Amino acid sequence: MSSRISIQLPNRMEFLGVPDAVLMEIGGELDCARRSLEELGTAVIEACTNAMEHGNHLADSTSIEVIIELDDPRVTITVLDEGPGFDFAAWQPSEELMRQRGRGILIMREFTDDLTFSRHEDGRFLVRLVKTLAPAGDDDDS
Amino acid sequence: MKIKERKRDGVAILEMSGQLMGGPDAEAFDETLKTLIHEGCRNVIVNMEKVRWVNSTGLGILISGYTTLKKSGGELKLLKVSDRIENIFIVSKLFTVFESYQDEDEAVRSFA
Repeated sequence: MSSRISIQLPNRMEFLGVPDAVLMEIGGELDCARRSLEELGTAVIEACTNAMEHGNHLADSTSIEVIIELDDPRVTITVLDEGPGFDFAAWQPSEELMRQRGRGILIMREFTDDLTFSRHEDGRFLVRLVKTLAPAGDDDDS
Repeated sequence: MKIKERKRDGVAILEMSGQLMGGPDAEAFDETLKTLIHEGCRNVIVNMEKVRWVNSTGLGILISGYTTLKKSGGELKLLKVSDRIENIFIVSKLFTVFESYQDEDEAVRSFA
């Protein structure tokens, strides 16, 4: 199965779960492990959180776009925001266990096979998450 | 996120539902804990059974609550964390910080 879904979201936190819900709906049709799908969903929620908070600075006038490309079992998700972006190459994970912020990139990195940050040709900043979903029965009961 | 509060054997049980993601959620959770501390209730169980997902900002809310209660001489423990959310605690190494239970009786007894 191959398909592409594009979602435009107002820059409001209450919409953070929408791409995850879409992913879970699509995943219901795939022969994949639930855990694998949930990991990708969690990574997408983080990408959208970053896009809304740090990219668009929670500005009501902005929006983010989430593109889900499915080439079963590989899923590529691109999240675009209107912000200035940041230098992923310079990013270092913090060792402070009790820090209240700064785990988003770590979670995205741990739950995907490939994570890249770049700028779209139209000027928007983008994060691309790629994951090959584990087959059903692989490390869970689905 | 919604928070429903009840008490059992001197322990506050906060039934969370929805998603834990920062913003107004942080203020609501913080206010609830401050009120409990003011009332003298410093031991808190956060029931996560009805929480669909948590993001990194939501983790920050729990860490903040844990620290606040610890400073006032109490503790924050988790109840019925789903596999999905537990997975986030594992990759962020926070499972080493939070005590977590699947059974409410056991969680309440752990404060004795």
